[in-house]
Amino acid sequence: MENMKNPDTALLRIENLHAKVAGKEILNGLSLTVERGEVHAIMGPNGSGKSTLASVLAGRPGYEVTQGRVSFEGRDLLSLPPEERARAGLFLGFQYPVEIPGVNNVYLLKAALNAQRKTRGLPEVDAFEFLTLVREKMKLMRMEDSFLSRGVNEGFSGGEKKRNEILQMLVLEPQLAILDETDSGLDIDALKIVAAGVNSLRSPERACVLVTHYQRLLDYIVPDQVHVLIRGRIVKSGDKSLALELERRGYDWVAGAAA
Amino acid sequence: MSALAHRIVEESTAAGFAGPAGARRRAAAAALGSVGLPTSRDENWKYASLRPLERQNFTPAPRGVTITAAVLPAPITGFARYVFVDGHFAPALSAAPGAGFAALAAAETPPAAAAAVGGDARFALLNAAFAQDGAQLKLGRGENARAEVVFVAASEAAVGASYPRLEIELAEGAQLELIERHLGAGEVAAFVNSALTVQLDRGAQLRHTRLQDLPARALSFDTLSAELHDGSAYRLLGVATGAQSARSTLLARLAGEGAGIDMALAALGEAAQVQDAYARIEHVARNTRTEQLFRGIAADRARVAFNGKVVVDAGAAGTDSRQSLRGLLAGSQAEIDVRPQLEIYTDDVRCSHGATAGKLDDAMLFYLLSRGLEPATAQRLLKWAFLADAFARIEIPDLRRQIEARLAGALHDGALKELL
Repeated sequence: MENMKNPDTALLRIENLHAKVAGKEILNGLSLTVERGEVHAIMGPNGSGKSTLASVLAGRPGYEVTQGRVSFEGRDLLSLPPEERARAGLFLGFQYPVEIPGVNNVYLLKAALNAQRKTRGLPEVDAFEFLTLVREKMKLMRMEDSFLSRGVNEGFSGGEKKRNEILQMLVLEPQLAILDETDSGLDIDALKIVAAGVNSLRSPERACVLVTHYQRLLDYIVPDQVHVLIRGRIVKSGDKSLALELERRGYDWVAGAAA
Repeated sequence: MSALAHRIVEESTAAGFAGPAGARRRAAAAALGSVGLPTSRDENWKYASLRPLERQNFTPAPRGVTITAAVLPAPITGFARYVFVDGHFAPALSAAPGAGFAALAAAETPPAAAAAVGGDARFALLNAAFAQDGAQLKLGRGENARAEVVFVAASEAAVGASYPRLEIELAEGAQLELIERHLGAGEVAAFVNSALTVQLDRGAQLRHTRLQDLPARALSFDTLSAELHDGSAYRLLGVATGAQSARSTLLARLAGEGAGIDMALAALGEAAQVQDAYARIEHVARNTRTEQLFRGIAADRARVAFNGKVVVDAGAAGTDSRQSLRGLLAGSQAEIDVRPQLEIYTDDVRCSHGATAGKLDDAMLFYLLSRGLEPATAQRLLKWAFLADAFARIEIPDLRRQIEARLAGALHDGALKELL
């Protein structure tokens, strides 16, 4: 079925991607196609390259792509600086959201939203409409109003940081969200809140790539496809039942089969 | 006597100040003649631009240069404004003297106290030798006032120097909120040498905001000497953005039990600017407090330096001193030097200091970029955040808005201005 898809319709197409970090090859011929409307889960053991993939897609400095190509809505993603990728509709939910004391959460949200609107030729958001929108999304994420006036992630607990990532995603409404271990460090209640946030953005136009260690998140955000990443390449893909099987049998099962 | 010192004495004599004040001026010039002005080889004087002094004309700029009100910033609600142009009082632009304010005419200045200083306060002697009008804010027991003193530099250095002078005396329990500004009428290459004295009696409280925003070709030196008596409190916020080279010397003596000084200084340098500050705080009496915060940003080829020295005398048991000094390098050819120094002669003290100099955090920068912010906007936002600690305590809303707008401007960012 994969082969029958028209290349031009894919939201994200990764072909034979090789990338190095500090001289070491981490991604080793990775290929992946994400269509609009889909949710993909990328699973794999520690060090398999999951977070590297997320970082390379978002354009984090220090990651060197040595081979392959990535197109996003038909554009060459790798030629764009990080801010243009974001404005084109790509969102990275950080595994470790950065604390930025002194930069107000709500300032960042507004600046980010206006940057996107500018790219799309829209006027700056009206302050009242903006706050109404943010408050509505905060309600969904069960965040208190005081979050707005605090520094970005400053003094937030692990769970609060992750919810803040999802809040930003909900305000920015990206075409493609890449959520890098957004579930790690969350208790079950927080996990449900985060999942509800992600699910609220699902639509036929948008897509989401979940990078995760555990099957648990996928109980709440049901993926269309599950991929197993080992040593920098995808060695097995399947539907949500693959995640359950991995949970039962471990990565060695796939790694053994792939070797 | 060096050629420079000799010339200062000659120029002071030539200025022909009469009477007892003239004698004091000549004494100040003679004192300066014997110690000389500092050179870059002197300790604590490594950064300030001193070479131009050799060809500096020290004679005061003439009286009567007129400026328009448009040069002045918007007034701050509740504050009486007093304006000085090139060190001369400008009554037409000022509130009527009162509420503790007096403009001291040339004949009445400088006070005798000026002769007592030397060492790092040598530029105060220069001010004493040449100052024209001085501003005096003197509050009696339990009085309180709010005042804004604006010093405008309007003449080129070649025409004459500007000697702002401000004397503050607060009697027991008096409270003063003071805004002190230094700015230019247009882009003049002015020479500005300011001197301030602060005397706080028992329980007096001074809240002082100093804004140095001189034109980009100005050369500035200022000396602030403060004496704090029992239980008095001095809260100082200094923001230095202007001048080609600016040197600020802050000398405070915590002479009375329980006195405290809380100072926050911010300095921004860009292009080839020099922002240099030296603060020496001496704990003389028991249970005295220092809280010192410095945040400096050096961009382009700018040099930003802060040297914060705290001396705890043998009699100053129970001293509590905290220093937090941070510098941010925002240019590959920029230079930052932040230095805390402690000299302690008693055991019963609590002193802490932290000093860091670094670049913008790459992880923070990437986080902002990943949200779609322009690199320039992201950098400015992080610079603003870096300074935020220093401004957290501005309690006058009009003033806060002005400082924020000025800094957003200094960081060249309309988008940031809008966000503030």
